[in-house]
Amino acid sequence: MAITLNVNGARREAAHGERNLLSFLRFDLGLTGTKYGCGEGLCGACTVLVDGQALRSCMTTVGAVAGGEVTTIEGLSPGTSVEDLHPVQRAFVEEQAMQCGYCIPGFIMGAVGLLNRRPDASAGEIREALAEHMCRCGTYQRIAAAVERAASGGGAS
Amino acid sequence: MTTSEHALASPSTAPLRIVGDVTVGFPASRTGYGQATYGNTQPQTERATWIAVWADGGVTAYAGKVEYGQNIRTGLAIEVADELRVGLDDVEVVLGDTDRVPWDMGTFGSQSTARVGWQLRKAAATAREAIMALASDRLDLPVSDLEASAGEVRPKADPSRGISYADLLAGQSIEREIAERPTVFGPSEFTLMGRAQRQRVDALDRVTGRAVYSQDVLPQGVLYASILRPPAYGARPTRIDLSAAERMPGVVRVVDEGDLIAVLGESDEAAALGARAAVIDWQLREGQPSRFDMPALLVASGVDGYAVQEAGDLDEGFRAASSVIESTYYIPYIAPAPMEPRAAVAVWEGDRLTVWAGTQRPFGIRQELAAAFGIEESRVRVIAPEIGGGFGAKSPYGLAIEAARLAKVAGQSVRVAFTRVEETMWSNFRPAAIVRIKSGFDAQGRITAWQSDAYHSGERVMIGRRGADTPYDVPHVRSLVYRSDSPLPSGSYRSLGAAVNHFAREAHMDEIAEAAGLDPVELRLRNLSHPRFRRVLETAASDFGWSGSRLGEGRGAGIALGIDVGSYVATAVELSVTGRDVRVHRVQASLDCGLVVNPEGALNQMEGSIVMGLGGTLFEASDFEDGRLLNAGFARYRVPRIVDTPRIDVRFVGDDTDPSTGAGEPGLVPLSAAVTGAVWGATGVRHRELPVTRHL
Repeated sequence: MAITLNVNGARREAAHGERNLLSFLRFDLGLTGTKYGCGEGLCGACTVLVDGQALRSCMTTVGAVAGGEVTTIEGLSPGTSVEDLHPVQRAFVEEQAMQCGYCIPGFIMGAVGLLNRRPDASAGEIREALAEHMCRCGTYQRIAAAVERAASGGGAS
Repeated sequence: MTTSEHALASPSTAPLRIVGDVTVGFPASRTGYGQATYGNTQPQTERATWIAVWADGGVTAYAGKVEYGQNIRTGLAIEVADELRVGLDDVEVVLGDTDRVPWDMGTFGSQSTARVGWQLRKAAATAREAIMALASDRLDLPVSDLEASAGEVRPKADPSRGISYADLLAGQSIEREIAERPTVFGPSEFTLMGRAQRQRVDALDRVTGRAVYSQDVLPQGVLYASILRPPAYGARPTRIDLSAAERMPGVVRVVDEGDLIAVLGESDEAAALGARAAVIDWQLREGQPSRFDMPALLVASGVDGYAVQEAGDLDEGFRAASSVIESTYYIPYIAPAPMEPRAAVAVWEGDRLTVWAGTQRPFGIRQELAAAFGIEESRVRVIAPEIGGGFGAKSPYGLAIEAARLAKVAGQSVRVAFTRVEETMWSNFRPAAIVRIKSGFDAQGRITAWQSDAYHSGERVMIGRRGADTPYDVPHVRSLVYRSDSPLPSGSYRSLGAAVNHFAREAHMDEIAEAAGLDPVELRLRNLSHPRFRRVLETAASDFGWSGSRLGEGRGAGIALGIDVGSYVATAVELSVTGRDVRVHRVQASLDCGLVVNPEGALNQMEGSIVMGLGGTLFEASDFEDGRLLNAGFARYRVPRIVDTPRIDVRFVGDDTDPSTGAGEPGLVPLSAAVTGAVWGATGVRHRELPVTRHL
């Protein structure tokens, strides 16, 4: 049965409620900024926000989030220039916290979810919150610095 | 035109084009490395356009390398912009598209800055010289009276009379060969090279999700393939029944070509459900070695012992020694596990084939596709979009051929994508290896004899040879490298062979230090005359505040040095061991990679390679039994996380007058021995087998 849900502020329709949220976002809506990394909820590459909270889209169905507001990396900011980025995105640019970049949208969404909850998160809280995100390029030191920068600079929105 | 419009235009329409030889990307097409390793990768054309300067003064640089995290798009743009004296924003770098860039053997061995960067610098300098010549005519002044900056040529005596490159190039059509010795700028004249950049040129795409990876290529009407792969290495199907799969909703067709069994669906979900409905009985290959058989198998099956280093007379060297020690080091297979599992999309238009594939070898894959379908290479285009990590794993890319075969059968474009488990299982692993070292040294800790025998798993002729020579001043030395049977597919990995050989050698140096009663730094310096090695070691030790291995209270420090891809490196580590928990507190490295073009980029690579090295040293090992991979998924394969990451500091100590060498791999080579040295300092136990946490 078709089901509607809110994605990045727009009403979108899915063929059925059991549709995997990550597949729906990537293949049905073409929002490919949310990445497939493991399909088991272990790497964080597929992280999106549902009502402002970070969630692994690969482990979620469309039906489970139909009542909520889904935000993907594409919906976080207009992203036309560094100036109009979300503070967390901007901090990642400023710290050059990226290598291949594949994990970065997931990290950013995870960090935004944390800062929505804990705008002044400590360095330790940031590391704990991002411990279930993987970056195989090993950019962690910069990612931590970026999120700390966003936290102290008012990263929540 | 915007820079991205330039990037799509044919360079032949540009008023100034710089052309040159394509074989600079890697020297080995001449030495046979490509042939020996991949059985192909010879260029079809010898010359290509490296730089186009457009009518509006914009610049496009073309390179056959791919971007998989090294940030070469920024680094190469810096080199071109600086030599051409234009803004960084005026340069676009086009990579990895076989229809548009110079042939290249592949992106490995940290050659992008070292070779292609230098080629592009020479091309940009050639372009600048051509533009200066035009200005000289126009202004009626000798070139020596002119200077170029910010896209203009100005008389030195009267900078207000500047003429823009766009003006100078209006109506021109100039093609220049890359000059043999163009006037490149020296370090004192650099305006961009060696200086911190505010951001990567591709930063915005990476933080907004706009960067397109092979997993993200989804042309209209593409069919999704689920390929039914064997559950174990060497398994063969004995019964295949796809009738139920074919009836599943959304399944467009099923394919059984013997070696390629697939379900094609109109969605990923339909293909996956169809594949689940397929019935296949597999016959497993019996009697395959397991992980526990590896140490013995490596030694027993070693062939082609190759002397990487040989000097003096070992017997004489051991006679001159007051002490002799012998140790064996073992390193299991580990998985590259890039964050992006491989994907490929194939589109046929008549007999013309386009494949998007996140491969490190777009030209090699083009050649393989052409051979597979019996068509000319000119009919095949391989596009490597952004690549979500590779570390050597994405040099082979069988998915490209699978996607093209399925697209041909279906008469429609087809996407093949690995799951995480497939990515791990059908990848190549870092070879397992065993290294035996016997050394002799005198009472002062001076090494008189060094005998090393290394066995690395894998078919490749040169597997395991990298970094198997010792940089220490040893008069009597023999280092042999054998290749051994490999139950798992083994192949490229970041700092292939070198990280493993360095672990054994540097760990052994620590054992000599202990036996000789010397500090590990002192022992190394007593045996090391090469000034570049001494400098990295002394810098790392001093920056770290080296005070010996044993720090007390469960803490230890370790230090090691090495060389890889032409770069000298030393790393010191401080950690503590509590039970089976190893906590690395800080890592201090020094790197001499000659001229550092993009310091932030090189730093990022060093930080990343150190984190990656911690994984293989502390946690990672690929387990297998009866042809089955036991830890293919992330639930069982432990990679470093943000909470495992120590503070990492890196100092670049090279001379900017030395040519750039690689920065992407050297960080790995001293790390394992620095860690095991620190674990010894903390616990008093020598770890000669990795990963450490399995043996605590």
